[in-house]
Amino acid sequence: MPIAQNPLSVEVTLPRQDVALLTVEGYLDVDTATEFQHHLANQLHHGRRHFLLDLSAVPFMDSSGMNIILRVYQEARELPGSVHIIKPTPAVRRILDLTGVSITVPVSESVEDALALVDGQGGAAGDPVERQDG
Amino acid sequence: MSISEHTHDGDPSTEIANVPRESPVGRLAATVERLSREVSRAQAEAEGRALIELAKGILVERLGCGPAQAARQLTELAEQSQVTPLEFAVDVINQAARDRMSEVAEAFLAATAAAADEQAAESAAVRLRAAESGALAADDTQAVADALLQQALLPLGAVAVAIWAAGSDGSLTLAGSAGFSPAEAARWRYVPPDVATVARSGLTGPEGQWFMSLADTGLPSVGRHQYPHGGRVAVPAGTGGRVHGVLEIAWPVPLAPQPPQVVRQVEALAELCAHTLETRMPAPGAGLEPRVLPDAAELMDLADGLHDPALVLVPHLDDSGNLADFLIQHVNDRFLDPAGRPRAVVNGTLLLQAYPMAAGESELFQRVERVYATGEPFRARRMNLTALVDQVPLSAVADISISRHGNAVLLIWRIEDETARLASLLQHAQRLGRIGGFEENLLTGEITWNGQLFDLYGRPETSTPVPLEQLPAHAHPDDAVTIGRFLRTVMHHRRPASAAFRLARPDGVTRHIRVVAEPVLDTDDRLLMVRGACQDISAQHWTEVALAATRDQLAHTEQQASERDRLTLQLQHAIMPPAQAPLKMDGLQVAVRYRPAETEQLVGGDWYDAVVLPNRLVLLCVGDVAGHGIEAATTMVVLRNALRGLAVTGAGPGQLLSWLNIVAHHLTGGVTATAVCGLYDPSRRTLRWARAGHLPPVLVRDGSAAPLPLVKGILLGAVPEARYEEAETQLAAEDTLLMYTDGLVERRDRSVEESLTQLLTTVRTAPTTLDQQLDRLLTYSRSDTDDDTCLVGVRLG
Repeated sequence: MPIAQNPLSVEVTLPRQDVALLTVEGYLDVDTATEFQHHLANQLHHGRRHFLLDLSAVPFMDSSGMNIILRVYQEARELPGSVHIIKPTPAVRRILDLTGVSITVPVSESVEDALALVDGQGGAAGDPVERQDG
Repeated sequence: MSISEHTHDGDPSTEIANVPRESPVGRLAATVERLSREVSRAQAEAEGRALIELAKGILVERLGCGPAQAARQLTELAEQSQVTPLEFAVDVINQAARDRMSEVAEAFLAATAAAADEQAAESAAVRLRAAESGALAADDTQAVADALLQQALLPLGAVAVAIWAAGSDGSLTLAGSAGFSPAEAARWRYVPPDVATVARSGLTGPEGQWFMSLADTGLPSVGRHQYPHGGRVAVPAGTGGRVHGVLEIAWPVPLAPQPPQVVRQVEALAELCAHTLETRMPAPGAGLEPRVLPDAAELMDLADGLHDPALVLVPHLDDSGNLADFLIQHVNDRFLDPAGRPRAVVNGTLLLQAYPMAAGESELFQRVERVYATGEPFRARRMNLTALVDQVPLSAVADISISRHGNAVLLIWRIEDETARLASLLQHAQRLGRIGGFEENLLTGEITWNGQLFDLYGRPETSTPVPLEQLPAHAHPDDAVTIGRFLRTVMHHRRPASAAFRLARPDGVTRHIRVVAEPVLDTDDRLLMVRGACQDISAQHWTEVALAATRDQLAHTEQQASERDRLTLQLQHAIMPPAQAPLKMDGLQVAVRYRPAETEQLVGGDWYDAVVLPNRLVLLCVGDVAGHGIEAATTMVVLRNALRGLAVTGAGPGQLLSWLNIVAHHLTGGVTATAVCGLYDPSRRTLRWARAGHLPPVLVRDGSAAPLPLVKGILLGAVPEARYEEAETQLAAEDTLLMYTDGLVERRDRSVEESLTQLLTTVRTAPTTLDQQLDRLLTYSRSDTDDDTCLVGVRLG
């Protein structure tokens, strides 16, 4: 049951077996970051390697939200996997640029673009077993 | 002046007592008295002759002449004025009397003179005076009726008149009539109480009733068969606030609305009747009238014997003899003032003074006035009484009883009893507690909801109530199990039950509802009904959830928290005093500010540094470790000292941040931080700088402010290896450079961009000193996140 005034809604779908698309709606801040982290940890636990974060309905993100993205980025890197941010709102985009996160975490304009990047990256990684759904 | 002194030997025994002579009514009474002596002498003569005699008497007094001379004078003056001696006589009397009669006559004259019907107007004045004269000449009310009809009413087109005496029980007795057949008058000699007749309707208000046509009223009255469609007027006949009867006048044809002069004339005639009724003795045998009127003292004894609060009221007349108020003569010992005043304060005051609100909506005063006027007792249940306590109206519901006893009025009230109060209290409690009640008959399927429940469900009161069985369809799907268990307990186990669930309303609003219900069994132990209540606990619900969360958190950390917070704050203050003496060197001023978060546990990891390096360059930096508390503060210490140490190597800012990133990345806990790092070369006046996910410095030059370009650089600790772009800015004299953490600008409701614009506007108008400028920035910061804030300002001399 949500406690916060502005509850966060996270919807998880699986475009590929190892790709989790998390559609986030609401403020990503100190109040909601933990919940968001639980969703990501759960998907990691279920063996997803690529994380597509649709932030088109996140009007505000603070450093707590940013840190969750960085954390999953670090964990995904070791798998190896990837994190993609999709369609951030201007305010969030500005934070991503300001903190330099967009230098490291690719930002895509659509799920398809992100999936194309995942596929390309998977190819570059040269691991055919991991790409069985691709 | 007094006419009687000169014209006739006064007989004091005929004076009408109890009426102040100064009031209009009193003067009228005095006039009546005077005239009656005159008229009784001239009884055998024509009415007009009596008036002429009267006028002569006035002239005798005025001119100081003898009667014969006065008579001559009257004739001469009448000729000069070209009026008849009779009319002139009326003028003389009117001028001398200045009573209500003359007032009416003058008004009548004035109004009709404009209509160029002077003849009729003057004869109306004569008529009225003649009627008065005739009325006073009569011995009884019957004769008054005859005189009124002949002298005053026939000229108005009326054909019959009835004078009713009002009994204190609400009955009416026909005291006199003219123009009706004697048989009809005999049939109508007595009207029992509570029988609606035209005359009775005349008692409803001081202006009486003016009916265009008797048939329209549907009310019975004397002579209805004779003049079924004729106009009727019933006017209360009263003096000094007390109504003695009704004057009823009949017209043969429908009555058009009458001019105010006629209305006032009729009212004057009614008052005339009141005087005759006042002195009228009840006819033998007819009298149910109380013969012995208990005085107020007896009534006070009676009041003291009552078990309800009672007040004894006596009329209080104003200067002109009209009823103005009632004096509270006595309150009994059961009396409790609604306003809480002691009995002695209320005793002896005027009703409207003690209870000004009595004249308001509660109509209490009007009720008392009416009971006093008519003698009809008044009783009401649940009347709303309002008392003014310190200018605050307090209302109480009371059962009221008002009755007239002699010249006093007994007012009894019983404040609504406890049971009724509790019921009303419950209603209000339900409304305030947002409790909706329901009752569901399981045999008939009939469901009753109160209005509050419709409100809770967000449904119009006209809609069909939702049966309990269908509750899951109106609730959050996750609550289906809870509701199922609740319904099973009530319906199947037939035991009272309660449940909390989320009600999904048609308007999309979700409310948290607690429902309580109990089964009602019939004599055969079958489930007959379910009744219960729903309460909106939404606000309470969130409070409880928040409390529970907070409590858990507290239980966990309470002991350590305060110590840690204090430690953190001490640490931070030790490293960075909130304000520091400005650093001054050749051609450069540096000032710093640190503002901790208002909430102690939010003490964070902001830092700044401004130090002159061995290579004469000035290291300027501002940084912000993510998160709050002791971890953030210790990380801050590590990074700040690391940077100082690394800077001594003489490396550039980009390289310094790369190294600092490695330090941050290898700290336990995966912390991240942002920082901006600059090296100022005093000899070249240049700033070489780089940033790690931090807001770029702002340059204030010539009254305008702008951020330096957003060079590339990821925040510290996010990746194992990072590269940081460098930029170089040439500074000039009087330039101010600001480095700050986002506590200064962060707002939830707007982008960093907008906040930055606001900040730039604030710094544009540069105050005289750098310290003032920094203080001003902190003061006008519109940040709303209660984050800690660091600010470094550099100004070139």
